[in-house]
Amino acid sequence: MDKNFLVIENISKTFGENKVLENINLEISKSEFFGLLGSSGSGKTTLLRILGGFEKPDTGRVILDGVDITNLEPFDRPLNYMFQSYALFPHLNVFNNLAFGIKENSSQKEIERNVRDIANLLSIENLLNRRIKQLSGGEQQRVALGRCLIKKPKLLLLDEPLAALDKKLRSKTQLELTTLQKKLQITFVFVTHDQEEAMSLSDRMAIMKNGIILECSSPEEIYENPKSLYTANFIGIANIIEIYKKGENIYSDDLGINFKLNKEFKNIKTNILLRPEKIKIQSINNSKISSLNSFNGEILEKSYLGSFTRYEIKIKNKIISVLDQNSHSNSNYNFLKGEKVICSWESESIKVLED
Amino acid sequence: MNNKLFEKYFVFSPYFWLVLFFFIPLAIIFKISISVSEWGMPPYQDIFLFDNGLNINTTFENYVYIFSDYYYIRSFVNSLILALISTFFCLLIGFPLAFYIATSNIRLRNILLVLVVIPFWSSFLLRVYAWKIILQNNGILNLILLNLGITSEPLQLLYNQYAVIMGIVYTYLPLMILPLYGYLNKFDLNLIDASKDLGLNRFKTFFKVILPLSVPGIVAGSLLVFIPVVGEFIIPEMLGGSDRLYYGKILWEEFFVNRNWPGASALAFTGIIILVLPIVIFQILYSRWSQRNEI
Repeated sequence: MDKNFLVIENISKTFGENKVLENINLEISKSEFFGLLGSSGSGKTTLLRILGGFEKPDTGRVILDGVDITNLEPFDRPLNYMFQSYALFPHLNVFNNLAFGIKENSSQKEIERNVRDIANLLSIENLLNRRIKQLSGGEQQRVALGRCLIKKPKLLLLDEPLAALDKKLRSKTQLELTTLQKKLQITFVFVTHDQEEAMSLSDRMAIMKNGIILECSSPEEIYENPKSLYTANFIGIANIIEIYKKGENIYSDDLGINFKLNKEFKNIKTNILLRPEKIKIQSINNSKISSLNSFNGEILEKSYLGSFTRYEIKIKNKIISVLDQNSHSNSNYNFLKGEKVICSWESESIKVLED
Repeated sequence: MNNKLFEKYFVFSPYFWLVLFFFIPLAIIFKISISVSEWGMPPYQDIFLFDNGLNINTTFENYVYIFSDYYYIRSFVNSLILALISTFFCLLIGFPLAFYIATSNIRLRNILLVLVVIPFWSSFLLRVYAWKIILQNNGILNLILLNLGITSEPLQLLYNQYAVIMGIVYTYLPLMILPLYGYLNKFDLNLIDASKDLGLNRFKTFFKVILPLSVPGIVAGSLLVFIPVVGEFIIPEMLGGSDRLYYGKILWEEFFVNRNWPGASALAFTGIIILVLPIVIFQILYSRWSQRNEI
């Protein structure tokens, strides 16, 4: 696998006074499904537009498959861009939207064949004569995707590919998109503000904030071992607890407890991350306390989410979130609001956030 | 008055306007055009005479006259050609301007829109007169050309059809820009990026995406320029020469110089029919086309 299929080198971009991107470096492999995740204003869309050729970077280079494409116009780049609004041509029907990019250099026969093939692939054969206005959101998304894929791009850029779809359709399309990408082996780079979307689609993802990349790794790695406080908070639910060294021990004022930690940290003070599903809760009557990190708490809030129940538990001054899987056949295992419980976790589940 | 009735009247009020100020005057003009002219005030005879019972006193002589005299037909043709050329140049200048305004940021956009509208704040006559001063033999333009050594003697810039076209394009340009702007304002700029992304250069993107999607704006602006220019009287009168006769001028002369009201009315009525019929047909065809294309 070509490790340096798409290389983004020292890209910076300023709009007026506003530094949108600062020294971005990324290497994306061939056939990778790569996500750029960030809140609005993080510069993720600007980066995608630079890849598409719609913006010119102030500094830096973009190299695709060994070719420097930094100064190429969008129409000279061997890649395609799927717009968040899809940007389908309202004056053309589905067939002509799909054929738009290949009409120039193909015979009528080739056009027909290619359009049929792509329509089959995306199961939109029955829509070819429709006008764009007659399509549902999901259908429009397929046409937009087909219009790009018919060009057989080396790289497909997707701007918030699922944002315009309703929730149920989104999870279905998510699955289809990953299947399609693995089948076609085209490199996908997409932008999203939705962490769930980023996690479920990406092979690897980059977290962006204020024009810089905070972290770039696989979704599992970013969720389990985030390097920064921002990432820990941004991805999933996070219990962040401030701890400091107190002689030999490690102490948290919020929880009022001593910690066992099997990891060293440099500073005197730091934050630790405890994911809600790593915490076990037991009834206070249950006498056998297994772990060393176990503490008394009281259940403040409880929300039943089907496969999980989410508890907000107060331990001294701190409220922490706990996700408890409802794997028991007996609903009596659910705890009640106001119930005193014992929370415990393994030392290994505690992640130290150095930044 | 109950609400429903009010709504009904409100919705139909433009039609009352149309009947009151278009169809009734048109009927009056038609009536005059088929009456017999005479010296007096008004300078035509009544259609209905009651000497010995009812006599209908009409004539279609004026219409026969208009279509038998090359002079009138030529003035019609001249005016139509003038309107076509002026509309074309308005579109040529107005489209890029409207597109630029529509795609610039909101602050610049508002400034530019005000600049487009500003000429309306001064009298139309004054503005055309100002062009006369600029273009005349010892005018500013000739002075500049002479001083720059581009020409050795003053050019005859005024009193020809080029001056007329220039004056019309200048005067009517906002009427082209504003409807075009109104339409292009809604244009999704992503479509241009999408077209480029799919491999079409700027030139092809213009003809495959921007132009087809601007057709309604182009049609609105062009009609707004074309229709009044056909009957335009003041600009050819002030900036034009005697080499070319235009429909508006002949109409004026028939009414106010020759005092031939029936003849002038016949001319006016013919003009309206010649102008309105093609436009009505065009509108019907166009609305069918745009429905089919969902623009």
